[in-house]
Amino acid sequence: MTNLWLRLAALLRNTQRPSRYLNHEWACTYKPEAAYRFCMVYPDTYELGQANQALRILCNAVNRQEGMAAERAFLPAHDFCDTMRAEGLPLFSLESCAPLAEFDAIGITISHELAATNILETLDLAGIELHSAKRTDAAPLVIGGGPCTFNPEPFWSFFDVFVIGEGEDVLGEVLQCHRTMKDAGAPRGEILHAIAQIAGCYVPALYRWCDEEEAQRCGSWIEPLGEGIPRVIEKRVFEGFATSSAWEPCIVPFAETVHDRLNVEILRGCSRGCRFCQAGMVSRPVRERSADNIVSAVVEGLAQTGYDEVSLTSLSSTDHSQIALVLERLNREYQDKGIRISIPSQRMDAFGVSMAGLVAGQKRGGLTFAPEAGTQRLRDAINKNVTEEDIFAAVDAAFSAGWRHCKLYFMIGLPDETDEDVAGIADLAERIYDRAKAALLPQMRGALKITVSCALFVPKPLTPFQWDGQISSEEALRRVNLVRSSLRSRAITVHWHDPATSLLEAFLSRGGRECADVIEQAWINGARFDAWTECFNKDAWDKGAASLGIDVACAAEHTYELNYVLPYTHISAGVTQDFLRAERNRAENGDVTCDCSCAACTDCGVCTDMNLKIELAEVRHA
Amino acid sequence: MPEHPHFHLRVFFQKKGRLALLSHLELARALERTVRRAALPYAVSAGFSPHMKIAFGSALPVGVGGDEECFDVQLTSYVAPEKVLEALARVSVGDLMVSAVYPIGNKVPAASVAYPLSVYEAKFFCAPRRALLPPETITVVRKSKEKELVVADFLEGDMLWEDATLTFSLWSKPTGSLRVDLLVESIAKQDETLELISLTRIHQHALLNLL
Repeated sequence: MTNLWLRLAALLRNTQRPSRYLNHEWACTYKPEAAYRFCMVYPDTYELGQANQALRILCNAVNRQEGMAAERAFLPAHDFCDTMRAEGLPLFSLESCAPLAEFDAIGITISHELAATNILETLDLAGIELHSAKRTDAAPLVIGGGPCTFNPEPFWSFFDVFVIGEGEDVLGEVLQCHRTMKDAGAPRGEILHAIAQIAGCYVPALYRWCDEEEAQRCGSWIEPLGEGIPRVIEKRVFEGFATSSAWEPCIVPFAETVHDRLNVEILRGCSRGCRFCQAGMVSRPVRERSADNIVSAVVEGLAQTGYDEVSLTSLSSTDHSQIALVLERLNREYQDKGIRISIPSQRMDAFGVSMAGLVAGQKRGGLTFAPEAGTQRLRDAINKNVTEEDIFAAVDAAFSAGWRHCKLYFMIGLPDETDEDVAGIADLAERIYDRAKAALLPQMRGALKITVSCALFVPKPLTPFQWDGQISSEEALRRVNLVRSSLRSRAITVHWHDPATSLLEAFLSRGGRECADVIEQAWINGARFDAWTECFNKDAWDKGAASLGIDVACAAEHTYELNYVLPYTHISAGVTQDFLRAERNRAENGDVTCDCSCAACTDCGVCTDMNLKIELAEVRHA
Repeated sequence: MPEHPHFHLRVFFQKKGRLALLSHLELARALERTVRRAALPYAVSAGFSPHMKIAFGSALPVGVGGDEECFDVQLTSYVAPEKVLEALARVSVGDLMVSAVYPIGNKVPAASVAYPLSVYEAKFFCAPRRALLPPETITVVRKSKEKELVVADFLEGDMLWEDATLTFSLWSKPTGSLRVDLLVESIAKQDETLELISLTRIHQHALLNLL
């Protein structure tokens, strides 16, 4: 492989944060002898990508295979992208500093919709054809994965194959298939045909895209072209998760990354059933690792990395049946050693706060809670399963235990939201403020701070709210202003997201293959790093969509009938469309649905249809 | 005061190769993690935010390597310096390899101020075509404020060229230091054939050594 290091090094002296491009971190793996070479790409800068757990897990999985090497690549910062183009330096991997185009296969994580133009920036900077259809036999196989592949259609033409769901097993299968057939001299088309038959793999080029009328009539937007190509692509689940070691070897970066600490994944899945939440719907069933497994992983991980902080990660860490035991054991182990233990999200009740207290030590900065909606009616409709008593119990516990700040996450524009619900956000925040004030000594009250953060609801694929439209940007701002004007206390501050990026997310999350052209046009017009506020180029998107005659707002704001077949119905996360429809109806009636990890089965389809089961370390209590 | 006196150690290491491009903060973080990986009985401060009792030598700019860099660390129990060196070497990355560990008293000047005179070596691809003089002043920007520093105030002795290698010594002062990378850059600018290969602090002098 070509080594670009000398050319790169010549540019690094005059670039910001060269540590992004250096490699040589502690514990990185380099297998120069491996015949088959794979590169895992995170389409954003090192600081974000190096912290990504999928990248870490998948690189380790591929490196464990004989004769296979996995390297890492990230997009350089945007100004360095320009420098590289001007110097004719292609995008490179870190370990070999080799051009991406020389790899046998590359994997790109699509972790959120706003990464769309960065995928094109990655491919273009790497000198790889943007479109799967134009790639020759010599080009690397371009594999997509990650949360956004539950609706892969907006990205369909840029990828050769998408792997749906958890990649631990399936990525290896795809690469082995590719390697064997490539070695035997099989043409690209034949290899893609074989990969399309591996469970969890979607090769978009092997399907005809139907028009809307046909899709609604036939119940699917795609039609397989050829024998043996599945009609429905079911997500893959890493079945050995619960019993596999929670210690996942990790690289210790020099550059400060987001979440710059040891991450130990303690459980997968969340079945609380919040109706807006895609992660909860697509990552079922719940699978917990045991306390022994977690504690030994933390001990081993801290010893091997030298980190001073460990985070017990998952979608809802305080729901782990042995979380109290885990935290108590870790506290004993690391008392007075300057090691911090953190859990990423707090459950909104007294138990959640007591768990937060176990990890906080003496330093009590801020606590974050997510009531999501301002009134009980709306919280029931979205199945948040949090009552006002829970919220106040959490607040009382937090502020009497020494916390002074609290951040509250809300969503604006949830289906069926009324002005009363919006004003309810302000009202709830005020009452939380009053409770917090009462729990504090008078001399402490001056330090009391409450932050209300309002995100705009984005309808996500494979959730009960996938048929619901987003509210318009103007309406979103009106509702934010309603929250702001309804607040009296100066100790409460309101933050909100830019509706323009949320609109784009809504457009891309439910869009079909027509989105690919919009993404490409936007990128041609200069859009990239859309998730970076300072880089977001709304104009580029507006012009791109207009040139194709596509109304982004109209698509994002459209509410479909519940029998409407959405453009990704052929992708299955196990949760049936019937369950999602039933949940949408229950939302309308204000009926809540229990968490099946501690109550009865809700018949979502995952365990029954995919032959999976909930795996708990101990019995959970509601 | 700690219940038991801590054992103060000074650790010398190199900052070389591509890792010369690390910033001081990145370097500090990497060294702290190295000490933790070595499983040494490092001391931890008391208070709301306990952290390792470690102190770093004077900072090098991004892109400048060092042959004799150092940091001080306190241990709660005695470990023979050679054992500390061995333990650190096992868990150090190649380009930040430790080279020596010495016990130091708790009264010696901190690593960051112990060596006020630094000897630098700049290697270029070829020798300059004519004699080059250092600029009279260097403008440094700190916290968006421009400050003009007189080079002669910092330079000790002459700048010596030997073929394509330039060697010189700079004082660091309590009021601040001259940015060595800017100094070399401004010298190199005078001859467009000069292309820098590496810039390294090859030695640091303690005051005692100079007396």
